Amino acid sequence: MSDTMNLDDYLAQGGVLTAPGNVPARYRGELMRLMSSFVDSELAASAGFAGAINFAPGIRERIAASRITLEKADHAERVLTVMADFGTDAGRYQRQHDWSARVPRDADLGTSRQAGDMRLSVFHYPITGWADAVVMNVLQGLATGVQMTELTRVSYGPLAEVFRAIAPREQRHAELGLEGLERLVASDEGRAQVQAALAYWQPRVAATFGVAGSERYPMLRKFGLRHAPNEELLARWKTLVAEHLATSGL
Amino acid sequence: MARFHPLTVTDVRRETRDAVVVTLAPRDEDRALFDFTQGQYLTLRRDFDGEELRRSYSICAGVGEGVLKVGIKRVDGGAFSTWANENLAPGDEIDAMPPMGKFFTPIEPEAEKQYLGFAGGSGITPLLSIIKTVLAREPKSKFTLVYANRQISSIMFREELEDLKNLHLGRLSVIHVLEQEGQEIDLFTGRIDAAKMQALFAHWLDASAVDTAFICGPEPMMLAIAAALRDHGLADSQIRFELFASGQPGRARTRAVSKTAVAPGTGTEATVTLDGATRSFEMARQGQTILEAALEAKMDAPYSCKAGVCSTCRCKVLEGEVEMVVNHALEDYEVRAGYVLSCQAMPLSARVVVTYDE
Repeated sequence: MSDTMNLDDYLAQGGVLTAPGNVPARYRGELMRLMSSFVDSELAASAGFAGAINFAPGIRERIAASRITLEKADHAERVLTVMADFGTDAGRYQRQHDWSARVPRDADLGTSRQAGDMRLSVFHYPITGWADAVVMNVLQGLATGVQMTELTRVSYGPLAEVFRAIAPREQRHAELGLEGLERLVASDEGRAQVQAALAYWQPRVAATFGVAGSERYPMLRKFGLRHAPNEELLARWKTLVAEHLATSGL
Repeated sequence: MARFHPLTVTDVRRETRDAVVVTLAPRDEDRALFDFTQGQYLTLRRDFDGEELRRSYSICAGVGEGVLKVGIKRVDGGAFSTWANENLAPGDEIDAMPPMGKFFTPIEPEAEKQYLGFAGGSGITPLLSIIKTVLAREPKSKFTLVYANRQISSIMFREELEDLKNLHLGRLSVIHVLEQEGQEIDLFTGRIDAAKMQALFAHWLDASAVDTAFICGPEPMMLAIAAALRDHGLADSQIRFELFASGQPGRARTRAVSKTAVAPGTGTEATVTLDGATRSFEMARQGQTILEAALEAKMDAPYSCKAGVCSTCRCKVLEGEVEMVVNHALEDYEVRAGYVLSCQAMPLSARVVVTYDE
């Protein structure tokens, strides 16, 4: 065993990097990309949910939507703080985009990112009502839960710590969605709205897992920024969704 | 965005043959900025023959000691650490960014914790800061340090650790593992690898009692220790890492471009707008990116990855023509709209006008 080793080998063997000064340029680029995707998605999700607060049928739902709006913005800020360690101008970064901007409801973005921000494509679609908001939150919440199993073990230590702090709160957001879903499916009208929303959101959330056989995955795996491929995460999400929908009789 | 501030060197103490401890004082108006948490580091910068080098060094003082101290071990061929070891003297000024880093857990004065620390060589510096702070501010907690070095003479802070042991009787234990010198107990000779960790856990360390483990040292040592800690039941959230000296990548090789070789008239007149302010300057037509030229012109252009990936450095070309070496971030339609990654963009025309504001 020598005193030092190549950083690529270190990472490939599960090593953890700890400061901007000790990450290689390419790693840094992918890490920045990962972080900006998360930050942009959380900001866009928060902005989207801000509108949903006024769709809320009652106080409880209003509080749930408000909480999600607040905490997603907080999560964005926490990760943006890590980006700022790398030189990102956090103040300018968060003003860079209109996070509430949405494409037309019937647009088809597939898995591609839009314009200069890195939010997941699903956060470009508009939420049209309360049932729509709840269903989107359930599906995306479960997806986030699956993504968190990756994010909490990224090889950049300070970021992994942030994700470990965020994960339980993101999980709570998904639970709030499931609670809302239970109330909705109690009525026939609600159930029909949920069915329609499921048909709309399911393929769009599925698309956030990216393409199977992603070309970037081997590099991310080598860097310790990913541990399971897109298709495996997607399969886990599908199983979770099926379980929860079955519980709700859907 | 973190900025550099001047610090005055008030003391340089030789710690070992190839390591110094440097005491630094911020200006009065910067004092609050340099309040630190145990285990954090300072990024220092200095100009070496026209090229700025930045290096990070861990603070080795405890919180509440009222001083800012860093340990700098000379790295073979390391311009910065050699300069610090050979030339730095009291009265000198050096630029530093405020303390950064997350190599710590919050101090809880009432807590009764068991900490386990592993340091390899100069990896001791942040651990010393943590040990001192824990011993002073968390009076019921205990710390066990496993400290690896080549030989006795290369052990940094050997006396200081002895003093701490005596000052806080029964709360600090130090196990020295020496690579090149035999000790009474064989276990303490050699390198810290998987087998050594196994033996340490069998005879000397109780993993189940550990609340948090801190590791700072060279990469292979960190991997071996982390793997052993996980095998003995520690969760990732209980293991803190700080990758040290050898983890610093070498200086990025700059493209060989002789500035004098660019004949007059073959350069490019660049006009760059940033934060509403516009500056014009002459830049090389080849071998220099717009970002590099803007930085050289003392413009605080936004950038991050410098690898054409993060798009933090995106700017818009309003006049002239540029070419990107690689583009991993921008979509085709953005490129069509005139956006470029300034860290990858070289001018092709005699005049380019770009803006970071759009």
